[in-house]
Amino acid sequence: MSKDLRFLVVDDFSTMRRIIKNLLHDLGYPNVAEADDGNTALPLLQVGNIDFLITDWNMPGMPGLELLKAVRSDPKLAKMPVLMLTAEAKREQIVEAAQAGVNGYVIKPFTAVTLKEKLDKILEARAAAK
Amino acid sequence: MTPEELKARYGNLILNLSIALEAGDETAFTSQLNSIVRERDDGVWLQLRKLTSDLGTALERFQLDSRLVDLAEKEVPDARHRLDHVLKMTDEAAHKTMDLVEQSGPLADRISNDAKELSELWQQFRSRQISPEDFRQLLDKMEVFLDDVRNTSDELRRNLAEVLMTQGYQDLSGQIIRGVITLVDEVEATLGHLVSLATSHSSKDNDIDKFRESRGHGPAVPGINHGNVVNGQQDIDALLSGLGI
Repeated sequence: MSKDLRFLVVDDFSTMRRIIKNLLHDLGYPNVAEADDGNTALPLLQVGNIDFLITDWNMPGMPGLELLKAVRSDPKLAKMPVLMLTAEAKREQIVEAAQAGVNGYVIKPFTAVTLKEKLDKILEARAAAK
Repeated sequence: MTPEELKARYGNLILNLSIALEAGDETAFTSQLNSIVRERDDGVWLQLRKLTSDLGTALERFQLDSRLVDLAEKEVPDARHRLDHVLKMTDEAAHKTMDLVEQSGPLADRISNDAKELSELWQQFRSRQISPEDFRQLLDKMEVFLDDVRNTSDELRRNLAEVLMTQGYQDLSGQIIRGVITLVDEVEATLGHLVSLATSHSSKDNDIDKFRESRGHGPAVPGINHGNVVNGQQDIDALLSGLGI
């Protein structure tokens, strides 16, 4: 699996961004950009040098679900792998995210192992689809 | 209406009416009679307007009252419960972090002490003052030390990763605190609204709903009913695999 993947981590809490960034480093992905909500994330995505999006749901400004929908409706970004990493735990929400085209859903608090599992699963599925 | 008010309002009208009646002036009589009826109707409309406004105020107050009851009976106790949970989370995170630091300190100390001991033997070896017995000891100790450094470094690395993960409490507790701040804002706005209703009848800004607007629900707090929530990652994985993800 390519370690040159460029990640964008979107979360309004800088502590959580730092945790995810550190975990990605540990997993061998040194290329991590950050944004604090959908509104700041979208322009970064549209510049076009992001390969993988990890986003929180509950954020001021543009929440993660809106960001996911925006990504899926943009022809240039539509195929971007998106992992939702959030404390939102309602079944309807998870179904909603799935219907909006999320590739994985990790509930907070989470473990490093869970994050790795879900990342690997998404990346393997993409490799197999190519 | 006091007798004076009654007289002031209708006295002249009735006087003019009876003058017209005495004079047999039908036009004047009809005109005066119409004036009296109009006067009475105006009073009724005034009363009706006041009644409508009072009813509006009462309804608004009722709406506020029921929101206040909701706040007092459910959301404030909920908020207390949420803050208790934050307290518990921060307490656990602080202890876990300190546990890991306390576990890691002695590991670092042990490596440092072993290295010090080894380096004394190493210096003897370098200055060719080592006995064959000490040399054998140096080799044995070196082997053990190298293994130990590798294992201990791994353990320290794991502890550091664990410390990192533990900081996730800041996000979760922050979200809960933010929810409570929104609630406090709403209580303040509702009470303010109630005060302005009590002091005047003209308060109109009905922006309570603004405070209820939600962009997600935040972390589930044990002991609070959040509706249909999943029970951990396994639950989500099962749900998603059912949806083909």
